[in-house]
Amino acid sequence: MNKLLLNMILMFFPVIILSQGRAIAQKVEMRRVSSGVYEPFFKNENLKKIQVDAFLLGETAVTNADYLAFVKANPEWRRSNVSSLLADKNYLKHWESDLKIGNDELYNAPVVYVSWFAARAYCEWQGGRLPTTAEWEFAAEGAPLGEQIENLTKFAMKWNAEPRPDILPAVKSTYQNEYGLYDMNGLIWEWTFDFNNIVQSAKGKNGVTRVEFTCGAGALDVSNPDDYPAYLRYGLRSSLKGNYCISTLGFRCAAHLKK
Amino acid sequence: MKKLSYKKLNFRYLLVALLVLVTMGYLTSCRSIGQSEKTISLDDIDTDVSGLVYAQLTYAPEVPKPISYRSPKRVKVELTTEEKVMKLTDGTSYTFWTFNGHVPGPFIRVRQGDLIDFTLRNSSASKHAHSIDMHAVTGPGGGAIATQTAPGQFSHFEFRAMRSGLYIYHCATAPVPLHIANGMYGLILVEPPEGMPEVDREYYLLQSEFYTKGDFGAKGLQSFDRDKAIDEEPDYVVFNGYVNSTTGKNALEAQVGETVRLYVGNAGPSLISSFHPVGQIFSNVYQEGGTLINHNVQTTAIPVGGAVIAEMKMLVPETIHLIDHSIFRAYRKGATAEIEVVGDENPKIYSSK
Repeated sequence: MNKLLLNMILMFFPVIILSQGRAIAQKVEMRRVSSGVYEPFFKNENLKKIQVDAFLLGETAVTNADYLAFVKANPEWRRSNVSSLLADKNYLKHWESDLKIGNDELYNAPVVYVSWFAARAYCEWQGGRLPTTAEWEFAAEGAPLGEQIENLTKFAMKWNAEPRPDILPAVKSTYQNEYGLYDMNGLIWEWTFDFNNIVQSAKGKNGVTRVEFTCGAGALDVSNPDDYPAYLRYGLRSSLKGNYCISTLGFRCAAHLKK
Repeated sequence: MKKLSYKKLNFRYLLVALLVLVTMGYLTSCRSIGQSEKTISLDDIDTDVSGLVYAQLTYAPEVPKPISYRSPKRVKVELTTEEKVMKLTDGTSYTFWTFNGHVPGPFIRVRQGDLIDFTLRNSSASKHAHSIDMHAVTGPGGGAIATQTAPGQFSHFEFRAMRSGLYIYHCATAPVPLHIANGMYGLILVEPPEGMPEVDREYYLLQSEFYTKGDFGAKGLQSFDRDKAIDEEPDYVVFNGYVNSTTGKNALEAQVGETVRLYVGNAGPSLISSFHPVGQIFSNVYQEGGTLINHNVQTTAIPVGGAVIAEMKMLVPETIHLIDHSIFRAYRKGATAEIEVVGDENPKIYSSK
């Protein structure tokens, strides 16, 4: 409870990172996520608990408007210029053209159809980085503020069961959590720095690949077999490659705390 | 004297041993007749496939036409996973996760020895990753390892159809129970090299359960209820994806004198089916979809993740109710399909006053 109070106080002092002398000074509200322990969803013998140091995480996912500023400043990340090694053919496919989003409703919606390489480049441009999976998952466990969400797993499950809307809602349209972060569930999937570092299969005793993640046996090695939203997040992450650009997958940036 | 009796005893043992051997030989020979393995020969595997065909896909209750070729082919099969809202019963809908936008997914028909060139596409409108585990595959995860497919992407693998039979396929992306509970399954038939015996009609049925927040018949868009699923207490047990998919005006059709073959799968995710034709008797049942044929069967068990091929000859006009004889499922949860048989009465077989 003390931690919750502290976080609620802290969240009224958002940290503002100004990108240093870049073409456009993007103002990104960063929130402090206090240190803690993340219990990995997929346990493994060497890794049962991960210490997450306090860090900064974007208050919202990066929006189409934010991303437009990035491609304006970085021509190599425009749709017609980008290398297919870094972003597949679906890159920004919901935009009208290289420098035009085309639909006003999309401005404050989270940007999607962006690859991991693009997300990483954006965060570096901002002077930040992508959060690690442990950081992201730990931050997403933050308790919702207010009364409207009673059970976060059920809330996330409801989103999982809904077909993707043609136009994604704007950021800040779901809920804010104890760290001051918006939409950690219920809006989009988000890239993490080490998205592909998941134990999907392990070598059995004779070196034959065992199916641990996909088949039912996988349930034995997870921290909470009833946490279907976590399964679905990891299920999606395990299917990704760095150049994939996907309709419901965006990102937010993280940064180290200044010591 | 002592020596002689020992010899006698020995002889007696020999006789008994001989008898045992003969009996064993008889038994094993019976077994090999009754359970011929019908596996593909190594020669067939080494045979180069000659020619390319595209698998004809059909949706329940339709079944693709019998295979006409008699040597192994490369067979292209392409399925697309889609998440979409469809009817579960009148006034009730559900966000189904599907193969090709249908529950159950398409019926795939190939021949033993074929090399299946399989592509799985995941619609770009999907939220979730999907995959496929085909029980007809000999290989890692039945294809699931090769096909974890992100939205908007595709994956590919090839497999040899090693053994004839009727097989379930289903999505195998974590959490697998949710993907199956949401509708991701279908059937693939691997015909034996000599083909299936000719019949007059073939139909595709698949039994499965749905676990919803609201009870059976509750109106509106229903969502998955995890607690009911874990307790294995479904609100819906249906054939071909929704209540009354195959009854009334949607009933299967047949005529007196015809032989009908049903390809029936059970995708579960939890309940074993006691599949029974009310007012009929299955003349042939390929047990568990394999090669062992039983005759004169009233009710056949279909395990979850399994299938049967069941045949019957239509002898009198009637409406045959195909039900899960765990009877509350048929009466209260939807587990009924129908065959409307038309034709002349035959008082020698059945009459009533």
